[in-house]
Amino acid sequence: MISRTERTVNYVVLTVMAVVVLFPIVTFVLAALSPDRSGGPVSPSKFEWGNFATAWQQAGFGRALTVSLTIAVCVVIGQVVLALLGGYAFGVLGVAGERVLFPIVLLGMMISTEAIIVPLYYQFRTFGMTNSLPGIILINLGMGVPFGIFWMRAAFRALPRATFESAEIDGAGPVQMLRHLATPMVRPAIYTLILLSFMWTWNDYFLSLVFLHGSNQTATVALGVFQGKYVTQINLMAAGGLIVAAPVLILYVIFQRKFISGMLAGAIKE
Amino acid sequence: MSAPARSTGVWTAAAGSAAAEPRETASAPPRRRSARRRRRWTGLAFAALPLAVYAVVVLAPLVQSIQYSFFKWDGVSAATWVGFDNYVTFVTDPILRSTFGHVLVLICFFALLPIVLGLFSAALLTRAKQPGMAVYRWIFFLPQVMTTVVIALVFKRIYAPDGPLNQALRAIGLDSLARTWLGDFTWALPALGLIGTWVTFGFCMVLFISGTSAIAPELYEAARMDGAGPFREFFAVTLPGLRGQLAVALTLTMTAALRTFDLVWITTHGGPGTSTLTPAVALYKAAFQNPQVGLAAAIGVVMAVLCLVVALVITRVSERD
Repeated sequence: MISRTERTVNYVVLTVMAVVVLFPIVTFVLAALSPDRSGGPVSPSKFEWGNFATAWQQAGFGRALTVSLTIAVCVVIGQVVLALLGGYAFGVLGVAGERVLFPIVLLGMMISTEAIIVPLYYQFRTFGMTNSLPGIILINLGMGVPFGIFWMRAAFRALPRATFESAEIDGAGPVQMLRHLATPMVRPAIYTLILLSFMWTWNDYFLSLVFLHGSNQTATVALGVFQGKYVTQINLMAAGGLIVAAPVLILYVIFQRKFISGMLAGAIKE
Repeated sequence: MSAPARSTGVWTAAAGSAAAEPRETASAPPRRRSARRRRRWTGLAFAALPLAVYAVVVLAPLVQSIQYSFFKWDGVSAATWVGFDNYVTFVTDPILRSTFGHVLVLICFFALLPIVLGLFSAALLTRAKQPGMAVYRWIFFLPQVMTTVVIALVFKRIYAPDGPLNQALRAIGLDSLARTWLGDFTWALPALGLIGTWVTFGFCMVLFISGTSAIAPELYEAARMDGAGPFREFFAVTLPGLRGQLAVALTLTMTAALRTFDLVWITTHGGPGTSTLTPAVALYKAAFQNPQVGLAAAIGVVMAVLCLVVALVITRVSERD
């Protein structure tokens, strides 16, 4: 047991830190609800909820959010399929040439976007794949492969091997085993992968800025353009920001445990 | 790592334990060995699609980046071979070279400050489970799930000429300190750095708190029996116990500082002047605004090498003895 003083100290430290984190966000939310252009806070009775509708229309978020959602959903689905295939291969079946291939895959987790963005852009331009959704989806998928394989491989390896052995004796092929036996057993890891992959894709700014323009703008890029145009209307800028942040924040409220454990585990790696 | 207790050798290879593999191969009967080989080829077939996508999107451009970096190219006309000129430009051009200095400043704010803050709070916290911890963890992780664009806007508002920061300064009579923070040649970079501090310290804290709770309580008891005060206890028990977490936090935050783009691009575009220019912003400008594609590729290659070196050195140091 710890003493009451210690407990109080704990709460004081935690609360001070929490206030530091929350203060900027709270002023931002208040700014989004302010009828005042400068975003000064007002009492709740004067909240201007119309800011969200105004920002939505002026920034053309309808289109941009659709683009972001399309990209994110396609990437998430593709990512899970690729991660299952790769993770099952490296985690359960073993892969010919594994001793060379697996370190190459892991290397991908350390390669920064900046190292590949230049040729990626000019090569994709040659094939007419810039400013196209399939192009950016493919890029997101490729860059997600290392983490996906790493993540699902760990999940498959944590399963008891006896399950696979007995299934194999029963004559199940590798495809059947993956579909009907292994995948259902690693469901929690898949859910975490879905959440992280969605968050990374939705929050991406750099790739979208480079590859997508005009009507293909994602929500994050549209928000960047919008805030540049409405520098003096802080309330609308803040409302737009909250609209773009909302989908991931909502998921974070519902699935906080999975987000935090996934990001910690992803950070720590092996 | 080796697992002699396993009933069949076939799964051992999949477990990736390189040490055990040759021995198992030698002792396995031929039929089982060929079954395993077949399985490994099936595995390669399974992995082929993800590996192909990865190769096209990451590996091929990575090699091309190195190739591009030896050419002078405007993105349209023919490229000319210039050897190491682009790398020389990156380190000799005064503006481009200044980005390294900016990165060092950012590392203080992105990496050192959050880690010190995180360690400090982890040390202050008694290592006992207490109710409400989940709520705090949720709050501390909040900046991690927000897109940088929104974080940039949040702080644009904080730093605005009539924003909360200047209002607070004026309220306590420090009018002379109030300024357009992000438009100030001296203060824009530290102001950006503090955003990074805000983003990462919660993550470091959660990492360190979970790390301290994994340290064996006996170590603390032993330290106390030896008469160690809180300081000795921190340096003798907590800090060594957090070595792994420290390595992770340092690697992630230092590479984040090195790669800063979104934050700068949305708040200052590298300005005022070039006072907040980072390598990534310089890369973007060189690659897509006034194309000097080779130079941009060279910047990217240098950044990748630096990231890799940071990661490897930190891992090495943290795993020594």
